[in-house]
Amino acid sequence: MSSVQQSAIWDLQTRQLLLPKLDDEASDCEDVIAIDTQTCRFAVADGATEAFDARNWAERLAQHWVQNESALTAEEFHKWVAAEGRELHDSWKSLSLSWYSEEKARTGSFAAFVGVELDLKTDSPSWKAIALGDACLLHCRRGRLLKSLPLSRSESFNSAPVLVASNSSMHEASMQSVVIDSGSCNGGDVLLLLSDALASWYLERFEKNDLDPDELFETKEDQELKQFLDDERLAGRLRNDDLAVLRIEITQRR
Amino acid sequence: MYSAQITRANPTCIVLLLDQSGSMSDPFSGDSARKKSDFVAEVVNHTLHDLVIRCTKTEEVRNYYHVSVIGYGRHVGTCFSGPLGARSLVPIAEVADFPLQVKSSYKRVSDGAGGWVEIPVRYPVWIHPASDGKTPMCEALAKVKEILERWLLDHPRGFPPTVLHLTDGESSDGDPNEIGQQIMSLGTDDGAVLLFNCHISTRRSSKIEYPTDDSSLPDGFARSLFQISSRLPANFLAAAAQLGIHAVEGSRGFVFNGDPSSIVQFYEIGTSLTGMTPYRWMDDRTETA
Repeated sequence: MSSVQQSAIWDLQTRQLLLPKLDDEASDCEDVIAIDTQTCRFAVADGATEAFDARNWAERLAQHWVQNESALTAEEFHKWVAAEGRELHDSWKSLSLSWYSEEKARTGSFAAFVGVELDLKTDSPSWKAIALGDACLLHCRRGRLLKSLPLSRSESFNSAPVLVASNSSMHEASMQSVVIDSGSCNGGDVLLLLSDALASWYLERFEKNDLDPDELFETKEDQELKQFLDDERLAGRLRNDDLAVLRIEITQRR
Repeated sequence: MYSAQITRANPTCIVLLLDQSGSMSDPFSGDSARKKSDFVAEVVNHTLHDLVIRCTKTEEVRNYYHVSVIGYGRHVGTCFSGPLGARSLVPIAEVADFPLQVKSSYKRVSDGAGGWVEIPVRYPVWIHPASDGKTPMCEALAKVKEILERWLLDHPRGFPPTVLHLTDGESSDGDPNEIGQQIMSLGTDDGAVLLFNCHISTRRSSKIEYPTDDSSLPDGFARSLFQISSRLPANFLAAAAQLGIHAVEGSRGFVFNGDPSSIVQFYEIGTSLTGMTPYRWMDDRTETA
């Protein structure tokens, strides 16, 4: 847990957890969490397991987006992704690849992405988010879900989401699916950035009124939380996927 | 059932069983220039290519699949040769590293601005066409059973093996029903072995794809193959739907009197076990160098 003073009025408390698939090493994890307190931007990217160099693509998208000050409109995002994709593809040119890596690289890389920028400079804090794929932003208030994007129902998750492609020839179609949204916050509100498996699991909990899933992050220590999520995956209630969660709580300074 | 995640710790097994009897050198009806055996070898090479690409993680191929290609005709045995030698079951990473040759070709893809561009692609070759001898289907299925029994001893958990059997004629060594049923009785904790059969025809006769019952089948041989064809699990039905194929709950993994497009779709559906979009290659290809 880390606490950041963001303005004269508001503080932010963040907590993050990144877990690889069961049976995988931490280095295999293709989910990435990025935080930049200067720009007040936060992002989660989820490299597609079947894609070439997915971890690097997810890393590049998340880290570079939070350091950026634009790419929060569809047009800017499109241009920015195209430039990042070109740099990624250029980085492969010096590699000596086998036939199968060459084939895979030709298609490029893919990742789900969600990024949020907070504005805490006024009495009424607000957020603006951009997302493509199935990594989600959930805005929660006292255990209630106010908004979820780009997907809002657990049944909307499937095995073939439209993702952020590094290959610009695929942008014409994929960029149509970019979701941009915004919202206002109260003190005590929580924003959750989640990769797909956890987002689906969270939404299902909310839909069933099962429990306030955010309580997990309030009450459980890291090791206990990891064990809980491992058990959920072993029991099949949570898909065995890489897991990323970034919890951002907005608190009013006294 | 049929929902286990395929991982390196819990891989699955795919067996491609090919009729390589003498009649496979006949052409398809209406396409006198193309032998059935040539076309089948091409589709099998593309299927192996697809499986390798699915398992490729940047510069590594992960062993999600163990693959066998068994042919039957004058001989019954593995179709792999060269560095893969006489092995009847090979982890996909080794399949990737040891094709017999890698051909270069071109693929037409969208340029993202409403046009098309041609990009170079590689087409590895693992098996060559073969067609000689009779149709010892029972002996071949017994060989498959032996391979699966051995593999299942080490892999009792996870997604069960899939056997994709392609033939153009009746068995010359008896009714395959009994040995087929024995294969279908094997399995893992996630379900019974999936045995799918595709019968292809030289004659111009109407094809029957993925039926739910045997009432439309013309003869005892067709009904026998139907009986040893597993029902398509839900994720295979979804793959069929993506290809525009009518298959419903209860449909068997069975094609009778299939044509070339039936073969391509049979392999695409039969290897769609991860729920991924089937790899489309046929329409993209423009020339072979």
